[in-house]
Amino acid sequence: MRILAIETSCDETSIAVVSLTNGVFAIEKNITSSQAKIHAQYGGVVPEVAAREHAAWIIPLLQEVDVAHDGAGIDAVAVTAGPGLVPALRVGVELAKSLAWAWDKPLVAVNHLEGHIYSVWLSEFQAPSGACDRPEGRLKPMFPALCLLVSGGHTELILMRDHGQYELLGMTRDDAAGEAFDKVAKLLGLPYPGGPQISKVALEGDAQAIAFPRPMIDSDNVDFSFAGLKTAVRVYLDSVSPLSKGELRGVAVANVAASFQQAVVDTLVAKTMRAVQQTQPASVILSGGVSANLRLRQALSDAIQSRFSGVSSDGDEAPVKLFVPDLSLTGDNAAMIGVAGLMKAARGEFVDPLSLKADPNLRLA
Amino acid sequence: MRYESHNEEETKKIAADFVRDLQGGEVVFLSGELGSGKTTFVRGIAEALGFHEPVRSPSFTIVNRYPVENVNIKQILHVDFYRIDDASEIPPLALEEEIGQPDTVTCIEWPEKAPSGMFVATHQIICHGGDPYVFTITSLLPQREGFPRLL
Ligand SMILES: Nc1ncnc2c1ncn2[C@@H]1O[C@H](COP(=O)(O)OP(=O)(O)OP(=O)(O)O)[C@@H](O)[C@H]1O
Ligand SMILES: [Mg+2]
Repeated sequence: MRILAIETSCDETSIAVVSLTNGVFAIEKNITSSQAKIHAQYGGVVPEVAAREHAAWIIPLLQEVDVAHDGAGIDAVAVTAGPGLVPALRVGVELAKSLAWAWDKPLVAVNHLEGHIYSVWLSEFQAPSGACDRPEGRLKPMFPALCLLVSGGHTELILMRDHGQYELLGMTRDDAAGEAFDKVAKLLGLPYPGGPQISKVALEGDAQAIAFPRPMIDSDNVDFSFAGLKTAVRVYLDSVSPLSKGELRGVAVANVAASFQQAVVDTLVAKTMRAVQQTQPASVILSGGVSANLRLRQALSDAIQSRFSGVSSDGDEAPVKLFVPDLSLTGDNAAMIGVAGLMKAARGEFVDPLSLKADPNLRLA
Repeated sequence: MRYESHNEEETKKIAADFVRDLQGGEVVFLSGELGSGKTTFVRGIAEALGFHEPVRSPSFTIVNRYPVENVNIKQILHVDFYRIDDASEIPPLALEEEIGQPDTVTCIEWPEKAPSGMFVATHQIICHGGDPYVFTITSLLPQREGFPRLL
């Protein structure tokens, strides 16, 4: 089965072709506007401000994935129907509806968050460092799976009991983790997008240098809050260089970046481990744009290892395995929408191409 | 009017007092540096108007909508232009259809990112996140004496 997948929920425009053969997913094409090398045929470099102009990108990308004009070889069309920005979502949804209708192929509506979760079905099991006996083929997450989804717009803990069955356990009450990264990067004068920049600068810094708050880390629930941390960084910067924030350089910036990153990582890991304790999952899935953060990957992996060290697999508590997406699939992309779409298509969960509408608040559960 | 606030609760009280003067159709600009309490203030407005779900930062979604049940006010439109870096990104949001509708209160964070004149404020709130936090509220409406309060 081969699916054409379209994602336009936020900043990226992306189209992919993904296939499922004998239980194995394969990405045949996956092209995203920010990476696309179609500038020449588009008539020059697409200006930075057009990054969110999905309408300008979508046809060049469709040409680039090179599907037959009559849809031959494609079995279904999948599209992100929400959550996201309505004008952005609409571009993808309308294209998907038109193609499904014109080609007479079934249409699948995918939730963007579901796509992020399924991105790990495209990557291999993360063997703990040192272990090199990688299992045959690809190990798939087992259920129930606890999903920590962290991106610019989302910070959510979701329990997935089976394919397509989700329960929202907790989420941010104010800012998303990725939003905090971007805003703190701005405060430090680092370029957008902030996440990778902070991590890069943080490599030179001392994560213990400044004791930034870890909001709600001790509360019993599994909700998050990052507005206070963002504000603490601003207040700190005002206090050390009240006249000009630009004066802060080198080590000082690196220390702020490292200490801030540590506060975010500590909070995300602590809340995830609390949810592990409450729900006893068989796997943990880390995904979304912030899952590209290596410090977060390592810290979560370490926390899971140390919690289950000494527990044999035939004990009461089965060791929990951590799944993370390939770094190339952490950001928004259509390949993950294709995987989620193939799973829904396999269950026969199709929508009517005449009535599908983009839903900015689409819920998983 | 200038209000000082020492914690989130005080800010929400200031917001609740502010809400008493609203009739629907207002467009409130909230300005101030990162973490100066703009979203927190809007959370106070939303709670005072009877919205009891979490009010999250709209910096990524750009627009959040909160349905409420009041005599005149049925919706809060929570807008945040933080991530807008070019004026051409605003028209596709089709906000002008909703902003200023008589049943809607619109709150805009980072309004200065939109070209001046694109949206017209009825109220301006300058937020300052110091010790204490300070909120300076200015009504840009002509004084309308004896205008009935319908809330
Ligand atoms: N008196 C106060 N009033 C409001 N917020 C306060 C106060 N004291 C502390 N805070 C804290 O300051 C932070 C304000 O963050 P908030 O997200 O509301 O700011 P913002 O102006 O919306 O920022 P942004 O520019 O990122 O949108 C919150 O974490 C809040 O708890
Ligand atoms: Mg805000």
